[in-house]
Amino acid sequence: MRIKIIRLISLGLLGLLACELAYLQVVRHRYFFDLSRNNRIRVVPLEGKRGRVLDRNGKIIADNRLSFCASVIPQEVRNEKELFSFLGQVFGEDPQVLFRRYQAGKFAPFAPVVIQEDLSEEIAVKLEENKFRFPGLLIEESFRRFYPFSETFAHVLGYVGKADLLDLEKMKEYGYTPLSLVGKSGVEEYYNQFLRGKPGGLQIEVNSRGQQVRLLGLRSPAGGEDVTLTLDHRLQTMSADLLAGKNGAIIVMDLSDGGILSMVSFPGFDPNMFSRRTDGNETADVFSNPDSPLLNRAVNGQYPPGSIFKIVVSLAGLESNKITPATSFDCPGFYAVGRQQFRCAHTHGVQNLIEGIAHSCNVYFFHLGLMVGAAEMDRYARLLGLGHPTYIDLPHEAGGTVPSPLQRKVSRNQGWFKGDTLNLSIGQGDVLATPLQLVRLMAIVANEGRDVRPHVVLSIGAQRVDQHPLRHTVQFKAKSFADVLRGLRATVTDEEGTAHALDIKGLRVAGKTGTAQTSGDREHHAWFVGYAESETRRIAFCIFLEYGGSSANAVDVAKDLLVRMRQEDLL
Amino acid sequence: MNKQWNRTIWIHALLIMAFGLVSLYSASYDNLRVSSQVFYDQLTFVGLAVLIMYWISRRDYRKFYDVAYVLFAINLALLVGVHVAGRHALGARRWIELGGLSFQPSELMKLSLILLLGRYLSTRRPALSFDLVSVSRGLWRNLILPLLLTVVPVLLIFKQPDLGTAILLMGIFLIMIFMSGLEFQYLGWLLGVSAAGLPLLWCVMKQYQKDRLLVFLNPNIDPLGAGYTIIQSKIAVGSGGLWGKGWLSGTQNQLNFLPERHTDFIFSVIGEEWGLVGALALVYCYFMVVRAGLDIAEHTKDNFGRLVAVGIVGILMLQVFINIGMVIGLCPVVGITLPFISYGRTSFLVFAILLGFLLSLSRRRNIF
Repeated sequence: MRIKIIRLISLGLLGLLACELAYLQVVRHRYFFDLSRNNRIRVVPLEGKRGRVLDRNGKIIADNRLSFCASVIPQEVRNEKELFSFLGQVFGEDPQVLFRRYQAGKFAPFAPVVIQEDLSEEIAVKLEENKFRFPGLLIEESFRRFYPFSETFAHVLGYVGKADLLDLEKMKEYGYTPLSLVGKSGVEEYYNQFLRGKPGGLQIEVNSRGQQVRLLGLRSPAGGEDVTLTLDHRLQTMSADLLAGKNGAIIVMDLSDGGILSMVSFPGFDPNMFSRRTDGNETADVFSNPDSPLLNRAVNGQYPPGSIFKIVVSLAGLESNKITPATSFDCPGFYAVGRQQFRCAHTHGVQNLIEGIAHSCNVYFFHLGLMVGAAEMDRYARLLGLGHPTYIDLPHEAGGTVPSPLQRKVSRNQGWFKGDTLNLSIGQGDVLATPLQLVRLMAIVANEGRDVRPHVVLSIGAQRVDQHPLRHTVQFKAKSFADVLRGLRATVTDEEGTAHALDIKGLRVAGKTGTAQTSGDREHHAWFVGYAESETRRIAFCIFLEYGGSSANAVDVAKDLLVRMRQEDLL
Repeated sequence: MNKQWNRTIWIHALLIMAFGLVSLYSASYDNLRVSSQVFYDQLTFVGLAVLIMYWISRRDYRKFYDVAYVLFAINLALLVGVHVAGRHALGARRWIELGGLSFQPSELMKLSLILLLGRYLSTRRPALSFDLVSVSRGLWRNLILPLLLTVVPVLLIFKQPDLGTAILLMGIFLIMIFMSGLEFQYLGWLLGVSAAGLPLLWCVMKQYQKDRLLVFLNPNIDPLGAGYTIIQSKIAVGSGGLWGKGWLSGTQNQLNFLPERHTDFIFSVIGEEWGLVGALALVYCYFMVVRAGLDIAEHTKDNFGRLVAVGIVGILMLQVFINIGMVIGLCPVVGITLPFISYGRTSFLVFAILLGFLLSLSRRRNIF
């Protein structure tokens, strides 16, 4: 009887085992099978070689340079202490620092950790000779981003760096890992997906210590595509020379299609700095510099346009039939509103529109602005491309602002006064624009209404990029443009014109100067925005000198630029 | 009839040993922790075990009756000796060196205890009656004394520490006292008192034993420490599926994710590489041996023989259940080998002796 009980218990226990086995191995098999596969398979991402960036003549302005780096494969290291004291001696660095770098970079036993990048040939040879003594030491060849023109193209090109948390969040689905290089600004950022190419990877089997057992698969990475810019390296170098030592920006744009021929912003930075392994001091300086060298003033900086805005006011007056080119106002040197006086630079006397533009007479535009009204000025400013981005193919473009009574009421719940209209008439007060917006404004006027889209990329690989060169036309009367153009031309040709210095033989130059007041005790911003025609080429350009004083300074830079372009046969 | 039981035991024991060899080959193949030498060691143990089984099955099992007390006494002495002069390995003192060979007296104690209890309990005792004096005397002779005899080696083994074997010995005691015909009401008392004593056990357990018990309840509280083994072994068994990954192809095994896979956790290798089919085949083989053993016990008229047979079957079944159970997360992890499969000399040879005893019982049982 008791044996029967024991028999039943045995049967029960072994039956329980059988049931549990069936449950684990059949019902939950998929789950455990996936776990066992995750246990043993690791994927090592491999990045493709990044595409190069060329200027319009095919000159390389962003390249990949072969460099040697010393890496350590954790699973093969025998004696860490010996290895790092040897490395410390070769690099002339504290072995402790190198070891910490190794500890920080270690993420899998089979994955090499980069200890030192960009080795000199001498050191690389020395390491190669001693490699047999230190298993796990690896001299790797890798490609590093290299910008041969360093500062000159810095803002247009941007720079590359390791993907940070924000990039990863944004681009996780495209296979980015924390080791991926991504463009951080400029063309490198905007065209990152083309430059980057297709990442590949190694699939390897590992054992319980994470050591590689065998290679399961390899997908070779594919290189990125070369990107050709509309910029010209000779012109770019020239612009950079002219701006050296000043703060500001120069933009030169082809009037026919909006291709940017040159775009510099100062102060600049050396984009090579970011692909070097630095201990952070150099880059920290750049980030904390009060002059913001990383800011591309041409596209991302917004400034009061000053007298450049008079182009908008003129067109508004002509288009709304408030004035004709012959309409004249008397300039006594100031304009009084109540007890307040709004000043003009000189006492110009009686001026018509052409003279008003050429001499940049504030009083003329006070009268005109009051006739047109703030709301209409705002409307025309927007039609001419102010107050919203140009959608150039560069990241984080600023949109500028155009104030209006309505906008002020909505955003600040404040009233709009006569003085505000006067300020707006001469581009002061709340109105802000980027240098690029003003170049585009000039292009619309010079093209008699035909808008162009500013862009910096000409082609990707062999594929020409269509930037919609004729996207729309500003529907103003042809006569309005012609009249304003006469005024802009007079600015240069008139003996008294504010930019008479630009009356260069063989060139047809027109434009508008601007001296914008700034807050505080700092100097004025100096502007010159204009266009120039030669037998072969039509360009629009903008010289912006931040806190550069009188607009005459900007005119001087413009003159140097045009003369040198003429000499170098670029115009 | 008797021949058939013996044949069943022989066939299935040999199948189990063969399966064990094949699995051990795989477990030690390209292993970072143990050399493939363990396979060849095990091969000699198998040969030795077969010889011992055969030799003992030809002996008169009554000889064991004669040596039971002496063997127990010697074994107790050896256990004390382990504490004094034992060899340390894996954080425990379990081995003792005798004549150049090391072995575990705790493993041998399984045999000694079964024989001791078999002999003691098979001797006629005065039945319990309602007379108070004879009740207490009967209780003393039928329950307390054998319990004390068991507890002494159990405590010595527990101290080594070897929780698994200590539990097994208590299991043997329960099964054999049950078979001895002790009244159910006393059995109830015994179980009740044991249950009440369990919290006391917690207090004397080593920290790692407590950890194992806690990770049994939830392996994920320490996935890289105490829970690692059980998580990995469950993954191994579960990922084997119906047909297994194939011999030498278990990734959990071959890539060293399974610790202790040549000894206590060898079943995870079987589960992974042979799947549910292989695992059930193995459980079936054990079941056939257990069933034949119980058949033999049932048909043995001799008290000593029957008690010992049930003890042998009991310990076999308990070890199979606890070992496989701990691999698949059904029992807490206690160091218990899988009979005839795990690598380990003493365990292997002790089981050979035990099965040999069963076989000899079957041959002789009609003498009486």
